[in-house]
Amino acid sequence: MLQILTKLRYLCRETLSGLQRGGWMNWAAISTVTVSLFLFGLSLQTSWQLDALLAHFGSQLEISVYLQPDISGQDVIDQVQAFPTVQEVRVVSKEEAWQSLLYELRVADPDYATQQLEGNPLVDELKVTAYSPQSVPNLVERLTTLPQVDYCVYINEAREQFEQLQAGLSWVSLSLISILSITAIAVVTTTLHLIAVARRNELEIMQLVGATKVWIIIPFICQGILFGLAGGILSLILITTLRTLIAQFLFTEQEFLRFLTEQLTLTSLQMSLLPLILLSGGGGIGLISSYLALRRLALR
Amino acid sequence: MKTSRRRIVINPQTRSIPLENVAPTRPFRQAPPPKEIIIRLQDVSKIYPDGSRCLIGANLNLKRGDFIFITGTSGTGKSTLLKLLYGEETPSSGQIYVNGSEVHELKGDHLAKFRRRIGVVFQDYKLIPNRTVAENVAFVLQAQGRRQQEIERRLLPTLKMVGLAHKADAFPDQLSGGEQQRVSIARAIVGTPPLVLADEPTGNLDLENATQILRTLENLNTYGATIIVTTHDHHLAGLSGKPIVELRQGQLYWQKR
Repeated sequence: MLQILTKLRYLCRETLSGLQRGGWMNWAAISTVTVSLFLFGLSLQTSWQLDALLAHFGSQLEISVYLQPDISGQDVIDQVQAFPTVQEVRVVSKEEAWQSLLYELRVADPDYATQQLEGNPLVDELKVTAYSPQSVPNLVERLTTLPQVDYCVYINEAREQFEQLQAGLSWVSLSLISILSITAIAVVTTTLHLIAVARRNELEIMQLVGATKVWIIIPFICQGILFGLAGGILSLILITTLRTLIAQFLFTEQEFLRFLTEQLTLTSLQMSLLPLILLSGGGGIGLISSYLALRRLALR
Repeated sequence: MKTSRRRIVINPQTRSIPLENVAPTRPFRQAPPPKEIIIRLQDVSKIYPDGSRCLIGANLNLKRGDFIFITGTSGTGKSTLLKLLYGEETPSSGQIYVNGSEVHELKGDHLAKFRRRIGVVFQDYKLIPNRTVAENVAFVLQAQGRRQQEIERRLLPTLKMVGLAHKADAFPDQLSGGEQQRVSIARAIVGTPPLVLADEPTGNLDLENATQILRTLENLNTYGATIIVTTHDHHLAGLSGKPIVELRQGQLYWQKR
């Protein structure tokens, strides 16, 4: 027990001594790790949010069928309901849709707006739910052939766009994170190397009086890990603050934005994973940097 | 183990220190049998990559408890010889045995543990400027992973032995050259090594300070430590009355025994 306490005391003292020698270089190291982990965390969080969004879309088997002007939904509903792959059909009348749009746009005087547009410009819509996602494309094809139907919108299109967006974002963030991680490792390595150079007398004496290699390098490894952990904590604070601010900014009564805001919320598992990933990422960067810095030290 | 009660006088200017307060454990308390070989050099040569030759087939045997001076003009290889003994340099050829170990075969932890049994005093002191005298001396024991209790037990007696107990909290730049060298000696002996190598310990000092340093080393020798002192000052070495080995043209020559 005493031996462990002695070792801990030594490690703390030597690590602190190294940090004191580092001065402003410590901040340079921590800030680059922070920026790198911030971008990494942000892209990871965005990827989780897009996944949630896609999963949400995937669960929707609903097709929006917009009818020709002057065609009533009630006239077509039985015909559509008769299709074998259709589970449910619901009519959204153009009046209902118009009221909803005016409400979402916060139009103060709905009558005036209707008058300005010379009446309700919308058409009746059918919300058609299919039995299975696989049947959706065929069903859309059949619905489009109906003379009463103007056009159909279904979620696969949006999903494809989201997937393309996610793939694009992944590549951009991966490239950025790689460059920044290398920069962070280079800065931390240089910082630790400069600290080692500033302490070369102590290191030389340690070697000459019989300190083992592990005993000499452990304080440097602790320093590197501390830089990484500090960067991880700071990036986590930044990411959490940014997420909260965006959620507050997007909080609105508009249905789509409200839906987006809901998707910004991480699950409890993701909330626990994010700090763990950031801290281990920081620790990893610190560890690699310490190894690289110490490899340049000639310890026999 | 029962300890003796004899007292030693380090220097008229320093205090008398009871033995039990000075050297905590072996080998200083009891001088070991004097016949055991502690250092053996066999046909040792050291040639640097630039072609300069420091040692050429040098031979030397030293017994435990010996005290010798190694003299020679500057650049003859005195420091290199000591570096070979504590494993900072490797010989180009030949064998070096210290404390029964072949030095150049040692690496990593084995070399580290081997060095714990050697105290080295440097000509340029090699003190850490931002640490106090006590911290500089304790640093050795901390670096060796010794327990705090043991560090505290050894620290004060060692500082007393070199007459610097009252300057424990001073920083190196607040000390004279002689005092800094004594700190360097304290750091070398605080772990009670059986072998002390002093590289020009008096090189930067006036005669009074140099004599004081040599007396401290002689006192260590009375406790059984083997001492090797390098110096370019033949006169100072001659005054001590100890055996002198001259390093000349890569060879070691005994001058006085």
